[in-house]
Amino acid sequence: VSHEAAGLPEGIIGHHFSSLSRQNEAMRLGMWLFLATEILLFAGLFTGYAIYRYEFPLAFAAASRHLNLTAGTVNTVVLITSSFTVALAIHFARVDRPRAAAVCLVLTILMALGFLGIKAIEYTEHFHEQALPGKYYAFKEVTIPGAAMFYSLYFLMTGLHGLHVVAGMSVLSWILWRTLQGRYSSRYYTGIELGGLYWHLVDLVWIFLYPLLYLI
Amino acid sequence: VSESGPSGQASDVLHPGDAHEEHEHSAIPYVVVWIALLLFTLLTYFTGKHHLGQWALPIALAIACTKSALVVLIFMHLNNSSGMPRLIFVTSLIFVGLLMFFTVGDVATRFRPATPAGAPFGTEPSQPEGLLEHELPE
Repeated sequence: VSHEAAGLPEGIIGHHFSSLSRQNEAMRLGMWLFLATEILLFAGLFTGYAIYRYEFPLAFAAASRHLNLTAGTVNTVVLITSSFTVALAIHFARVDRPRAAAVCLVLTILMALGFLGIKAIEYTEHFHEQALPGKYYAFKEVTIPGAAMFYSLYFLMTGLHGLHVVAGMSVLSWILWRTLQGRYSSRYYTGIELGGLYWHLVDLVWIFLYPLLYLI
Repeated sequence: VSESGPSGQASDVLHPGDAHEEHEHSAIPYVVVWIALLLFTLLTYFTGKHHLGQWALPIALAIACTKSALVVLIFMHLNNSSGMPRLIFVTSLIFVGLLMFFTVGDVATRFRPATPAGAPFGTEPSQPEGLLEHELPE
């Protein structure tokens, strides 16, 4: 252990791990297990979506065309770019450029804020139109059966995804703090790598939400 | 110390990227994937806007799956990870497939009283009152 830990910041290798590479492997394994549970969590909602889109194809198409496609497309570009900057942050940590890594993390967090801002504008529009989930649905432009179900699923899916954006922002802010403390380098970057993995998952979910909600 | 020597070597074999070649690590694949993701988003946008009928959903899903594969393999490093994360990821996909296939299969083969009010029956095309397919807003 001692030769691996030499020169690394205090407290990186847990005393219960025989080596840093074993700890890295265990950390990645744990993160991927967590991501698998996240994939299955969203899969439940996507399955509900599949059922009701199958039952009400025209209502889903009609309701979808009242969403703000421009906002959805801009948000797709924002999230994809934020995934790119977080991948760059990990890269810069790996090649011993912690300042560049920190800049990339700040950019990622700003784009996450931008995403939430655009989503808030969209939600405000829905509230004004009374395009709301369940029994609160009173949107006058789409009144056929199934339209309320589309908006229920829309709010559940984008809402859960939005919570994940907030969680991801918090994780990345914490990683940013640790990057500024000089914790990550070519010798140890697993922490920033796992934070990035979570953010990529948030991007992955949106890659499917965008065509399924906005482009029916 | 006697234990960490051999175990360290074993892990190096499992995970060769950890110990070597860090300074040659390149950001070019990330730039390429980013541009590809933007182009695929453009493709989804234009194919989606044209409402290609029964092909719309398969095309949208094919593009989304391609984009996801790029993110998972390059951004999330599953292309050069050890076997365990790959196994976990593929297993989660198999269970998503099982969930989707049997649930949608169930709904698609039900008889009329089991479908929700206002929904079309089985594979019959949906024709709600006052709205026909060609009357959908753009």
